[in-house]
Amino acid sequence: MRTEHLALSARGVKMQYRDRGTGNVLLAIDNIDLDVPDGAFVSLLGPSGCGKSTFLKIVNGLLPATAGEIKLHRVAKGREDAMVFQDAALFPWYSVLDNVAYGLVCAGVPRGEARKRAAPFIDLVGLKGFDEKYPYQLSGGMQQRANLARALAVDSAILLMDEPFAALDAQTREVMQAELLRIWNAAKKTVLFVTHQIDEAVYLSDRVVVMAARPGRVIADIQIDLRRPRDLSVKRTPEFAVYEEQIWRLIAGQYGKTPQPDAAS
Amino acid sequence: MIAVRSAPVQLIARLRAGNERVFYGVAGFVGLIVFWEVAANTGIFRKSLVSAPSSVWKAALTDFGNGSIWPHIAASTGEFAVGFLVSLAIGIPLGLAIGWFRRVDYFFNGLLAGFNATPNVALIPLIILMAGIGFESKVIVVFLSAFFAVVVTTFTGVQSIARRHLEITRSFGGSRWLAFRTVALPSTIPYILSGIRIGAGRALVGVVSAEFISANQGLGFYIGFFGVFLDTARVMLGIVLFGIFGVVLGELIRVVEHRYDVWRPELHR
Repeated sequence: MRTEHLALSARGVKMQYRDRGTGNVLLAIDNIDLDVPDGAFVSLLGPSGCGKSTFLKIVNGLLPATAGEIKLHRVAKGREDAMVFQDAALFPWYSVLDNVAYGLVCAGVPRGEARKRAAPFIDLVGLKGFDEKYPYQLSGGMQQRANLARALAVDSAILLMDEPFAALDAQTREVMQAELLRIWNAAKKTVLFVTHQIDEAVYLSDRVVVMAARPGRVIADIQIDLRRPRDLSVKRTPEFAVYEEQIWRLIAGQYGKTPQPDAAS
Repeated sequence: MIAVRSAPVQLIARLRAGNERVFYGVAGFVGLIVFWEVAANTGIFRKSLVSAPSSVWKAALTDFGNGSIWPHIAASTGEFAVGFLVSLAIGIPLGLAIGWFRRVDYFFNGLLAGFNATPNVALIPLIILMAGIGFESKVIVVFLSAFFAVVVTTFTGVQSIARRHLEITRSFGGSRWLAFRTVALPSTIPYILSGIRIGAGRALVGVVSAEFISANQGLGFYIGFFGVFLDTARVMLGIVLFGIFGVVLGELIRVVEHRYDVWRPELHR
């Protein structure tokens, strides 16, 4: 069956919650179906409030869905999924090495062993020599590298990335995008990447799943047929611009249909 | 022309460069002592009421010389140490439990607020009835004085843990017990340390209040006893000894705090 080649399969995922202020029931996510094949890089793209981060947290198990089903590719040992958080997601009281080893510690690996297994991932993400530094001694980009290394170290079947570069400045973000592709290539991971930046989604992904808000839902699933490996110059090609334009139109088209108080973001 | 700096000026400059914190700290005390001495001898203050550093020094030489003050120091130190350590031994774990378990919080919340609002001094007569006027009743007062500060700061610390930090443990499938050890404890330590600091101050106040009301030894008793005889030099000596005790205690706590500055760079000065 096809499902054996899927790292993630979601069917009819729905999320509703009661607004604490008004008491109204709000539908955050309405009926999301999503398949992510093994080894693929898939982005969830949408404006803020479209439920893309919520969906990621449901996949990760941090939030319970109101309805629907999530299937993750079973792995022989360890976790099926690992999360790369948005920002400030390192423990300030731990060194880089202890932070990177933390996912393994959560999986029950003794600390010494976890540190040993985590060390190569620090090199992989380009933080060689920073093992014993503390988070405050790292730049934002370096912190996100450590954040990524922690998720890689648990050797999960799928990486869930929640706008990991959103807090970085534009140049660092581009460098990190290229770095992510290099690491993705080296680590042979499946990635589900959440972002609100069109160029980021197109540059990184095999597929861009476009979402709309209120309620959060999928409005398009676009295959990105740009040749790999991609370096940043691909962003200046006409093909890239065509994808950007296509997605931009999809998102812009939504603004006329539903009230969007924060459409500017 | 070359400006030649005199030797004392150079010496002061060198001392200041060595350790500014100690330099200015000592300068503060020296300044106070000089001001006090001058004010007492020029009639700005009434010497019979505030004494003077020179008189306090003379009293200290006498009482330390014949050893008569040592039992008082020993009694107060013992009451403080036992009462304060017990308040930490019970207060920190209880504060952690209140902060970590919602139901424990609900259980103790009202009780703590009520007891905390009761002035400890008001309980002293009752404590004396129950525990006598000896060591035990002082220890209880000291314990009560420090206890609430320790509990409240500790559970406030646990309740102030960043939610996203707890999310990390959950996200990677770590247990709640692991989250407690690796997230709750380290992020609460700064709060526990300020609880210790505040609690230590309250405990010292507890020592004096308890000894004032009823005691036959201790520095609080010493102060009260000589106050009755208008021996203000000895009253001041007792107060100064409490002050010295407070400074030493503060420095000890600083040493502990420094261990955590590695990851709290914003506290570096």
